[in-house]
Amino acid sequence: MTRPDRRETSQIRALHCALGQLNRADGSAQFSAGNTSVICGIYGPVDVKLYDEKLDRAHIEVKFRPDIGVPMTKDKWNESAIRSTFEREIIGQMHPRTLVQINIQVRQNDGSVDAAAINATTLALVDAGIPLRSMVAAATCAVCANGNIVIDPTQEEISKAQSTHTFGFSNQQTDSPAYVDSRGDFTMDQYNSCYDMCATATERIFAFMRSAIESKVSKESLNEA
Amino acid sequence: MASTTGQLTFAIETFKRIHPVEFQRRFLSQQTRHDGRAFDEFRNTQVVKGTISTAHGSSTVRIGNTTMVCGIKAEVSEPDVSRPNEGFLTTNIDLSPMCSASYRPGAPSEEAQVCSEHLFRLFSGCVDLAALCIEKGQAVWALAADVVCLKSDGNIMDAAIIALLAALEDVQLPQASLDSVTGVVSADKTMAKRLQLQRRLFPASFSLVDDAYLVADADDAEERLATGSLLVVLDGNGKLANVWKRGSFIGRDAIARCVEEAQARRNAVAKALK
Repeated sequence: MTRPDRRETSQIRALHCALGQLNRADGSAQFSAGNTSVICGIYGPVDVKLYDEKLDRAHIEVKFRPDIGVPMTKDKWNESAIRSTFEREIIGQMHPRTLVQINIQVRQNDGSVDAAAINATTLALVDAGIPLRSMVAAATCAVCANGNIVIDPTQEEISKAQSTHTFGFSNQQTDSPAYVDSRGDFTMDQYNSCYDMCATATERIFAFMRSAIESKVSKESLNEA
Repeated sequence: MASTTGQLTFAIETFKRIHPVEFQRRFLSQQTRHDGRAFDEFRNTQVVKGTISTAHGSSTVRIGNTTMVCGIKAEVSEPDVSRPNEGFLTTNIDLSPMCSASYRPGAPSEEAQVCSEHLFRLFSGCVDLAALCIEKGQAVWALAADVVCLKSDGNIMDAAIIALLAALEDVQLPQASLDSVTGVVSADKTMAKRLQLQRRLFPASFSLVDDAYLVADADDAEERLATGSLLVVLDGNGKLANVWKRGSFIGRDAIARCVEEAQARRNAVAKALK
C-alpha cells in the first residue's frame, strides 16, 4: 500500500525555507513542506499595551491567519498552542515590559499545518534575534485506517486517518516533548510509535533549520566584508 | 504580627495570600497538597443528568468546587449542501465573571474559545451526525450544546467534557417528520428517542505546578502556578482519544504514567455517570 504521493511511510515532504523575506518585520521566515506553506513575521521587542504589560518579562502575542477566510475559533486554538509552546522558549526576562508579536499566515494548507507553523515561528524568532532558550521543531504523524503510520501526512491522508499526532521537540531536551497534540482513536503503542517517528523527523528538520540559518548568516557576513 | 522571637509570622490565610508560590511549595515539597490530596488524587466528582427540564438534554457536574451546567437545544435546520444527510453539533462554553474574578465580561476570552473548539474537536466524532437527519437534503437536527461555568475552581476542561457527555447522553429527540406538501416539520414529543453516542469520553487533566510537581486535577490556586498542562481523554474501551500537552516540558515517562492514572479516573467518572 503506497501513499498517494508515493512517499515512504517515514519520508517527510521536501522542505523549503526562506529567511527575512518581509523587509518591514524584525524577523521573518517562510517554511514549506511539500504543498503546505506558512509564513511568519515577528515584531519585537516593541511597545506593549498597558493592559498586557508585564513587569518582569515580555508579553507574547500570537496572531494566526488561515489561508482562506477570516480567523475563527480553530485559529484561536492554534494561537494558544503556539503561544504556550514559545512562551517557555523565549527568554522574555531580557526584555521586560515589551511585546513580542508573532504573526503567522498560512499560505497553503495541505496537511500538517500546525507543525509547519511551529517550525516557521522558530526560524522567524531566530531571524529576528529574539533570545531563545532552545529551538523547537515539530512534526505530524497519522495512523491510517489499515494501521500504517505515516509521517508528515497530506490533507487527503489526514481526512482518512484514524488519528493524528503532532509532537514538538526542543533541541536541548530530547526525553520530553515541548508540545503534544494526539487526537482520534489510538492505543498507547501507536502513540509511542508516532512519538519515535516524529522525534526522528524533527532531528532532520533541526539539521535543515541549521543549514538555512548558517547560509543566511554566511551571506550576511560576506556582504559586510 | 511579629512573634516574640523577632521572626515574622503570619496567620495561614495571610501567608497563602501574600506568598502563594511559597505557600504551595511548602506542601508540594512534602509530597502533599494544600487541600490534603495526594498528587494523583482527583476531587470528588458528581454528575446529575436532566437538570434543565426545558432543554432537550442537560446535566450538572461538580468536581470539587468547580460547577458546570450543560444544556443542549435541538432545532430543525437545513443541512449543508455538501453533506445532505448529516445534522450539526455546535459547542460553546461560557466563562463569565460570575464563575471567577479572572474572567472579564464581554466577548469570549481566548481561553473560552480554545475550550469550546477543543470540545468540538473531541465530540464531533462521538455523535452520529447521520442519525440527526430528518429528511435528506431538507431538514436535519442541529444540536447546540451550551456549557456554562457557575463556579470555577480549576480543571474547567474535565468538568466541561463530563458535562457535555452527560448532557448528550440525556438528549431525547422527538419523532420528527417533514410534510412534503407544506414543507413543515412536525415533531411528536410522545415518541421521543434517546440519542445514541458512538463513543463515550472520559477526561483526566494534570498540571505541572512550579515546573516540578505533576498533580492531577489542579484547583484554581494550583492552576495559577502551573507552567504546563496535560489533558488525557480515554474512550469507553480504554483506548486513547486525545493527549494534549501544552506549556513546560513534561517527560515522556511522566505522560505514560498519567495515561495509566487516567484509566483509573475513567472508572471513577463512569461510576459517577452511572
